[in-house]
Amino acid sequence: MPPAGVAGSGDASAIGRRRFLLAAGGGAGAALLAACGSYGPKSAQRILMYAERKNEVVERALFRHRSMDVAGRHALDAGNAFPAYFIAPSVPVWDPTANGPWMLEVSGMVARPMRLSLADLQRMPSVTQRINHYCVEGWQAIASWTGVRLRDLAAVVGVDPAARYADFQSFDDGYHESWDIESAMHPQTLVAYGMDGAFLGAAHGGPARIHSPIKLGYKNTKYLTRIEFMPVRNGGYWSDQGYEWYGGI
Amino acid sequence: MPDEPIPQAHDGEEELPPPRIERNRHAPIVRVTHWVAVVAILVMAGSGLRIFNAYPAFHRRGETFCCYPFEGRAIPDWLTFGGWLGGARHWHFAMMWVLVANGFVYLAYVYLRGEWRDLVPRRGDIRDVVQMVRFYLFIRREHPLQGKYNALQKGAYFAMPWIAVLIVLSGIAIWKPVELAPLTTLFGGYVWARYWHFIGMVALLGLAAGHVFMVFAVDPYVLPSMITGRYNERFAPERRNGRPFYHLLPRWAPRPAVADAPEAHVSAPTPASPTEP
Repeated sequence: MPPAGVAGSGDASAIGRRRFLLAAGGGAGAALLAACGSYGPKSAQRILMYAERKNEVVERALFRHRSMDVAGRHALDAGNAFPAYFIAPSVPVWDPTANGPWMLEVSGMVARPMRLSLADLQRMPSVTQRINHYCVEGWQAIASWTGVRLRDLAAVVGVDPAARYADFQSFDDGYHESWDIESAMHPQTLVAYGMDGAFLGAAHGGPARIHSPIKLGYKNTKYLTRIEFMPVRNGGYWSDQGYEWYGGI
Repeated sequence: MPDEPIPQAHDGEEELPPPRIERNRHAPIVRVTHWVAVVAILVMAGSGLRIFNAYPAFHRRGETFCCYPFEGRAIPDWLTFGGWLGGARHWHFAMMWVLVANGFVYLAYVYLRGEWRDLVPRRGDIRDVVQMVRFYLFIRREHPLQGKYNALQKGAYFAMPWIAVLIVLSGIAIWKPVELAPLTTLFGGYVWARYWHFIGMVALLGLAAGHVFMVFAVDPYVLPSMITGRYNERFAPERRNGRPFYHLLPRWAPRPAVADAPEAHVSAPTPASPTEP
């Protein structure tokens, strides 16, 4: 223990510098906080958008048609706990008396544009897959989905090899989301008309919706009316509001 | 008394060399990566908590989760960053590259310059940890001799990169649970990978909070060394016998042995035998 006799004022200049550095650090921190708010500084937005574009390059490089999602054998189905959502003020229900029978239009860069009824879809080869649904919010829900592989549908309509994107449109207040063609042609990307062994109900996007484990939930357009193959991307309901356009899993 | 050497904190078998003023206690790369890590970790944690608040729970829909007592309870807004889910995700997915690149630069430097030797635990460190704890609990009187860091610091600073590895890998696992499914499986699936990501964050922030507390409570004199690199060994805790909030003031530091030589630098050898004028 140092004896009391050596108690001195210490290195005065060093203390002064220390004080200065602390004050400077505190001042810089306060300025930073004031500039940020909880959204972060405005000037950072361009960097964040740049990072999003670069992340998309990384995500597309990681993307494989061989990568498949499989729900855990011991994991439970979500069942009634599967969240339902839509952007319209009330559950969108297709009204055949006002709009005629529901039809799925497949158009854009295709050799044979088509309008398919639910019965037409059911006549096509179908798959049933028990997979995870990944929401942007962070939750995960398991269900069994039945439908037509979009890649099979694309073969039927003859998609132009130059088509790079697909836009999925709905009767839910104009909700739509566009995808890169690679993700759209993933073998687990379905035009789904069945969920957990029943026809797709109004709460989950009936009569038919896009469903795939390789895209975040908001990319999977419900209440599907039209699939349009395009040379350029077409944004989307949530993508246009600032969520990532790619939204891959 | 005048003929006796200044009493040191350590009596007995070993004596501390005369204190030096280090100009470069932490290399510039270490200083820069330290503060970049501070900003990156704070932004990652804040934006991560904002993302978490969109679904502040771990259970898969239709299941329950065993191991989180606050399932469904949101984190207070003032602890979050990014403003909204989409904004926080942009921050998170941009800053992750800064965090990882910064970590690689730091680890490469520490490895190539051999400074890992100050950090990697070795035999005997357990005993030193026990001695440090005994000292802090006033069971042991004298501060144990240490190198650049004491045994508790070494443990904390060594653990941090490993926790960071856990956080980064579990983060990748919940970013790409389909494309990188084997990694997600390694963590026990998406739900558990999300949990380890969260637990890793808590552990890292816990260590960081302990670190900041100890800097201010035991050795505030070390703060400039992480900014300018300068550190006066005279104020080292082992010379002050510093415990948290104990012997904190500069007056507890022994007066320099060499009078009228305030700028005794690392390069200039100091006289081995101190003499009073």
